[in-house]
Amino acid sequence: MASWKYLLLCWLGLLLLSLLTVELGAAGATPLLAGGVLLVALGKAWLIIDGFMEMRHANWFWRGLMLGWPLSLGLTIWLSIALR
Amino acid sequence: MSTSPEALQGSDLQRPGLFASLPGDLAMWFFILAELTVFGICIVAFAVTQALRLELFQASRALLDTSTGLALTLSLLTSGLFAALAVEQVRAARSRQAAGWLLAALGSACVYVWLKLQEYAHLLQAGLDMEHNTFFTLYWILTAFHFLHVLLGMLILAFMAWRCWRLAYAPQQCSGLVSGVLYWHMVDLVWVVLFPLVYVLN
Repeated sequence: MASWKYLLLCWLGLLLLSLLTVELGAAGATPLLAGGVLLVALGKAWLIIDGFMEMRHANWFWRGLMLGWPLSLGLTIWLSIALR
Repeated sequence: MSTSPEALQGSDLQRPGLFASLPGDLAMWFFILAELTVFGICIVAFAVTQALRLELFQASRALLDTSTGLALTLSLLTSGLFAALAVEQVRAARSRQAAGWLLAALGSACVYVWLKLQEYAHLLQAGLDMEHNTFFTLYWILTAFHFLHVLLGMLILAFMAWRCWRLAYAPQQCSGLVSGVLYWHMVDLVWVVLFPLVYVLN
């Protein structure tokens, strides 16, 4: 696939996931829905890191480091909500 | 279009082992990791404070406009797409077109700045300044810190657009451009976590 098509698909995915974030947020206030919102944010972060930042070609260590950032923050945020 | 590691790096320099396939300059990656660490600490502080004062955060968050947050998100993500397309143009030896894409990225970033300033003005008029309550203290610290990064990123985009127009980059010698665009994507990445945390989560 041409690079510009790949980037465009990433952007479309990001737009759809952004709309889904708002929809999930408006659906209610439960730890499950909060988990859904954070999971969607993780999906968006993955599209930016692997798509826009081209980390899909990078060494596993650096890729893991970058993907670990939204994953660890998402988990922390969710636990701070769910364990309250 | 080539997507070999060398093309992705945008540099003639070959790095050994662990750093071999990283796009852009290695120094930029250390800078990005440092920035993400600082933002991460701020985000954890926000999340922990939210857990301690959940009702206050829910009531305060309701004073923010989610649709403005969504528009801010879309403008940043669109700007990120344009910046990524600029890199592809330079790799295809079309620097002048890349300058156009970078200017488009700058334009989309201007939409973000305008929306954010409108939001700040609205909040200040409503008396929701930094000293209003804990939520707004953290809101102003987090979003203003991110806003400063957006402004710095816009300066970098403008500089790179000028360099592209002057044909300063070549397909195998564009690590400076790739690094600048990586910084812009980092600003996107931080916002992707900030948006649900500040505007959406209940």
